[in-house]
Amino acid sequence: MSRFLKWSGHAWLSLPARLYLGWVFVYACIHKIAHPGVFALDIATYDILPLELVNIMAITLPWIELCAGVMLIVGFRTRGAALAVLGMMVMFIVAILMALGKGLDMSCGCFASQAAAEDDPISYMTILRDSGWLFLSVYVVLFDRNPIGIDRLLGKRRKSDA
Amino acid sequence: MDAETPKETFLGGLGTALKDALLITAACGAVGLLVNLFHPEKIPYIAEEEYETLVPCPEPGGEVTPMEPSDPALSAKETFVVDARTKAEHTEWNFRGAMNVPYDYLDPTPDEIIHELAKKIAKSRAQRVAVYGDGDRPDTGEQLGKEISGKGIKNVFFVTGGAPALRQPDSPGGGP
Repeated sequence: MSRFLKWSGHAWLSLPARLYLGWVFVYACIHKIAHPGVFALDIATYDILPLELVNIMAITLPWIELCAGVMLIVGFRTRGAALAVLGMMVMFIVAILMALGKGLDMSCGCFASQAAAEDDPISYMTILRDSGWLFLSVYVVLFDRNPIGIDRLLGKRRKSDA
Repeated sequence: MDAETPKETFLGGLGTALKDALLITAACGAVGLLVNLFHPEKIPYIAEEEYETLVPCPEPGGEVTPMEPSDPALSAKETFVVDARTKAEHTEWNFRGAMNVPYDYLDPTPDEIIHELAKKIAKSRAQRVAVYGDGDRPDTGEQLGKEISGKGIKNVFFVTGGAPALRQPDSPGGGP
């Protein structure tokens, strides 16, 4: 086990995982930032949050997605960004499970609005997909050693300054 | 590769990562709130009214037959008429004392209401049930018809076009 944890290949495996996750989150936030009203309707459709929190969530969540995504791509505070992504993935999976439990026939609203994604209803495949991203975020949190990125550059600079 | 040691990177830095994650959440949330002020499609921070979410729940649906609003059977004694629209719409106009059972796309009709409806139908000795709704697509009348039919009420019809069609001058319930 300890040999597995110490394996130097993790650093390079977590790099594509990090870039892919970052891309997914940046891509996912675009329509939400552009159309907060539509995203608010998507959130309300889940029928989980009280009405008072729906708009706040619709306004803030896409920016957290954007920030975490960009930070993963450029390698700045990578593990923190991956942890934020991990938290969001847990939240999304719980929300989709609750919607599936209620038998709601709806789109997840992850990448497009309800109206634009009528042909992509939530299902256990959505849970499987999100679980894959959850696994990647856990992997980045645990194994990222940031072989390429701003954190590494800053680390080198600090070392040379010292 | 100048990788950090596993001890430094595996679980050791989780506290810092958690701090960073919280910072990202707070800072980006604040940015989002600020940007919303200048957003061309800005929304209020707190929604002023409920969102109209029309997501059909796949409740066990039964057979339901369309019935034209001009069908004389609609006015027959043997027909029990149900109004699937909201209470306010029902109060404003209804078809000859129809029973109001508002249909909700998100919540299934409570069993107590279905039982009450079944009792009233039995008491009226009606041989068929005609449900009318808002006439939209999807029509609440058709949806409620499927729902009550799926819960054991037999011989259920829905009025095509719903209340707007019933209110046409040439239909049995015609008039304002």
